[in-house]
Amino acid sequence: MAALRRFALKILSLVSRGRQERDLDREIAAHLALMADDFELRGMTRADAQLAARRAYGGVDQAKELHRDERSFPWVEQTWQDVRHAGRALARTPAFTLVAIATLALGIGVNTTLFTAYNALALKPLPVSKPQEVVRIKRWFDTGARGDIQFAFSTGEFAHIRERCSGFSSVVATSWPLTVVGERETFTGQVVSANYFTDLGVTARIGRTFLPDEDRAPGANPVIVLSFPFWQTRYSGDPRIIGGLIKIAGTSFTIIGVTPESFTGTFVYPQVPNFWAPLSMQAQLQPGNDWQRSPGNYRLQLLARLKPDVTRSGAQAEVDTLVRQLTATPEARDKTEAVTLTRTSFVADSDDPRFRAFVAALMLIVGMVLMVACANLANMLLARGAARQREIGVRLALGASRGRVVAHLLTESVLLALAGGTAGVILSIWTSRLLWIELARLLAIAGPGILLSMNLNPDYRVFAYAILLSLATGVLFGLTPALQSVRPDLITSLKQEGTPLGQRLGRSKLRGLLVSAQVAVSMILLVFAGFLTRGLVRAQSVDTGLQSKNLFLLFAEYDRDPAKAATRERLLLEQLRSLPQVRSAATGGVPMMGTWTPQMIAGDRRGRTLGSYASSHYFESTGIPLVRGRDFLAQETNLAPLQAGAGVHGSSRAAAERAAIVSESAARMFWPGQDPIGKQFQLDMDFRGSLADFEVVGVAKDVRFANLTRVDPSHVYLAGYTAGTTAILLQVEGDHASALKAIRKAIETFDPALLANVNLLALEDGPLRLQRSMASAFGMFAVILAALALTLAGVGIYGVMTYLVTQRAKEVGIRMALGASQAGVLNAVVVRGLRPVFSGIAIGAVIAGALSSALHTTLAFPGSIDLLYGVPFYDPATFLGLAGFLAMVAAAASFAPARRAMRVDPIEALRHE
Amino acid sequence: MPSEDKPRIQVLQGTLDLIVLRTLTTIGPQHAYGIASRLQQVSEDLLNLNQGTLYPALVRLEQQGWIKGTWGKTESNREAKFYAITRAGEKALKSETERWRRLSGLVDKLLLEES
Repeated sequence: MAALRRFALKILSLVSRGRQERDLDREIAAHLALMADDFELRGMTRADAQLAARRAYGGVDQAKELHRDERSFPWVEQTWQDVRHAGRALARTPAFTLVAIATLALGIGVNTTLFTAYNALALKPLPVSKPQEVVRIKRWFDTGARGDIQFAFSTGEFAHIRERCSGFSSVVATSWPLTVVGERETFTGQVVSANYFTDLGVTARIGRTFLPDEDRAPGANPVIVLSFPFWQTRYSGDPRIIGGLIKIAGTSFTIIGVTPESFTGTFVYPQVPNFWAPLSMQAQLQPGNDWQRSPGNYRLQLLARLKPDVTRSGAQAEVDTLVRQLTATPEARDKTEAVTLTRTSFVADSDDPRFRAFVAALMLIVGMVLMVACANLANMLLARGAARQREIGVRLALGASRGRVVAHLLTESVLLALAGGTAGVILSIWTSRLLWIELARLLAIAGPGILLSMNLNPDYRVFAYAILLSLATGVLFGLTPALQSVRPDLITSLKQEGTPLGQRLGRSKLRGLLVSAQVAVSMILLVFAGFLTRGLVRAQSVDTGLQSKNLFLLFAEYDRDPAKAATRERLLLEQLRSLPQVRSAATGGVPMMGTWTPQMIAGDRRGRTLGSYASSHYFESTGIPLVRGRDFLAQETNLAPLQAGAGVHGSSRAAAERAAIVSESAARMFWPGQDPIGKQFQLDMDFRGSLADFEVVGVAKDVRFANLTRVDPSHVYLAGYTAGTTAILLQVEGDHASALKAIRKAIETFDPALLANVNLLALEDGPLRLQRSMASAFGMFAVILAALALTLAGVGIYGVMTYLVTQRAKEVGIRMALGASQAGVLNAVVVRGLRPVFSGIAIGAVIAGALSSALHTTLAFPGSIDLLYGVPFYDPATFLGLAGFLAMVAAAASFAPARRAMRVDPIEALRHE
Repeated sequence: MPSEDKPRIQVLQGTLDLIVLRTLTTIGPQHAYGIASRLQQVSEDLLNLNQGTLYPALVRLEQQGWIKGTWGKTESNREAKFYAITRAGEKALKSETERWRRLSGLVDKLLLEES
């Protein structure tokens, strides 16, 4: 109790310092007066008595100091003193301070921006009430398959878990976003269980959310809740919209509410639909595709709220058993091995190693920019420390402990870092907005109707991150210079400054090292920016080899049963072929949208290849030229669908080999110097060794099929069909609008219900534009970072050279007085000063080369993306050009100091000696 | 101070608080100088106490709420801060005295056994 009271009073003393000091003064004065009175009584004169009292009392200031130490926390006052002193010191050199703060703001700003995005994606909990209680249910397959299918559950499983799991106070379900057709436009909507909003604790901004029984009777409650961004963009935030009707897929839906702005959805990706509807209205939204009639339909994501006294692991064990009971039935295609409950954040799969590797790589890159900034500042502080050697020497001589001086210097750098951090956070708020706009633009290309929903507003995590980063930065760049500063022995620093010829070697070495390091980092970033921009340029002009201009892709959900779906797709294909606007149509693999890379065996050669399916006329429709052999025949491609693992076992092979057409590169790879036509090969159909036999009937030209970045290293086209990975590909004639209209009309006559489930897009508009935009986004990102690093390095070199010249002015004066030429001086001071720059360039080039070749080894995998668009990784032009460029920047940065060195007036310089 | 005629005792860390509390119960409210004079008198100048060293003890005790200082007038009509023991202080004195007795008893016992 007494200790607590004392602690509180000590803190109070911090603020009532002035009053306490006055009180103390008064008390000591009284004390002395009383004592002097006593001495006077003993017969001293007043003056003697006062002196005697002082003697008896002891040091007044020491007593005060003791009092202060006891009264409050002395370190707080010391720190405060240091802060004020550092602030004054920084204010005295505004140029240095501004450059330092700007440098740090850039370094910390870039890092904070990245963290803001990461925080919004992976750390911020979902926008629901008490998010710590809410978990996402995730399953793990025995096949090891990963991705968003791990979050997919069936309606049956949802009901099962909801009824039986005792650890949850509630379970809510939400579907994947559905694209639905309105009267003039398409919308994205999610169907959700009626308790979705209430149990997640989301109340409507206006209107209401769903009532508890609104998802019971199928088709009985045509009500929807709008998302905030949709309400804003489509209805300009008009509150009178409540009660209004929207016609979707022929049913009129009543708008009953709008969600609050903060509710950004709960989907595994950061996107928000246009509206939510009750689960029971799914069949009305998607006519002809009723989930109720296909129980094995995995379309729901499940979120659950734990009961207050239940732990996550406890509930997990329970729900694990429940789900596995259900999926043990033979109808389930992939066996569920385990079910886990994960905490909720936007990227549900934030534990995914690929996501983590991606984030780590980005962190490393922006971390490098911060390292350059730190190296710069350390260098500037070293120079500053050298200039202040006298001041520090005096302080040490007056009895300040080294620890105290180091603390003082560190305070200065930490103060700088915090100022830089503050500026950095402001900077990052802007750049996050820019990043956001850029991302939204990319996503708008990826698919219409996808509204990105991310709350990028900085929260406490972002601020904590920025503060910690600033503090760490301050210590990192401040510690070495501070320790360096207190090292010199007192005698030399108290004498005139320490002669320039007797400069301590340690310090100049350290400075050289720092310059080398930042030049090296700039070189690495420059090389990658160079590669990526060359890739960017290529990406805009690169030719796929396909006739992509008039190529349209048609995806549709024909039927849940793969066999029926295949039949219907073929029927529709026949209809479309008869249209005059369609020059050619086929089914088959879709370029630029996912890859399949099976193991291929041809005689004694084996290796990974890209694989896809194709029907007859596929090569005509896509525009991939056949160079030899023949196209597939209609009867070859109308065989029953080949499904991974089904009907193709090593032991019982199908009687006849299926036909295949291989790319030129595949022919070269597997049958070098031979005629591939008529050759046979095998493919591992399911990555588990189920082999199927094929016979080569033709050779196709090499194209960019897997992605825009590179020509397929090897590709085999297989005659046939497989569910899910194919589409109808249409090569149209005439203008696109009328062709699309005709196609839509044909689909409508074929089956009006199908129209709602169709996705028709041009290859140019969709995947190709997305890839080109990605390339430019990557390129821009790299260029910005490299420009940043380059600017910082330039500033750093300039600073160091200026310092060197100033320090050595006397030496230069002596040399000149002794007859040295200007060229000699230039060589001695500037060229030697630039040495660390050259070694930095060399080191950076070596590291960049190593990284680049590591990046290139990933290209061994046929489906992987080549970010450099085929620019060779050792490309001497890039390396030499950039090395030259960096050297030029260094030369430019040292131009002004060099001129100053050559203009040193010997008489002026020597006058001070 | 090494150049003194009598060898003086340094106050043991932590015992000064106890001594001050005890002094205040004996002589009633007193100012810092009064406390110091009293200590010197009782210890017959054996105690080496810089008058200034009293202050940390006073601030500590006051912050703990064991004594309370108020400004007042002395007999010679000078102003001074008078410290008085509080009720919490009396209680603390009791327990601290108890503790000191036990400690010093233990030390005595050990010293006796050693000799």
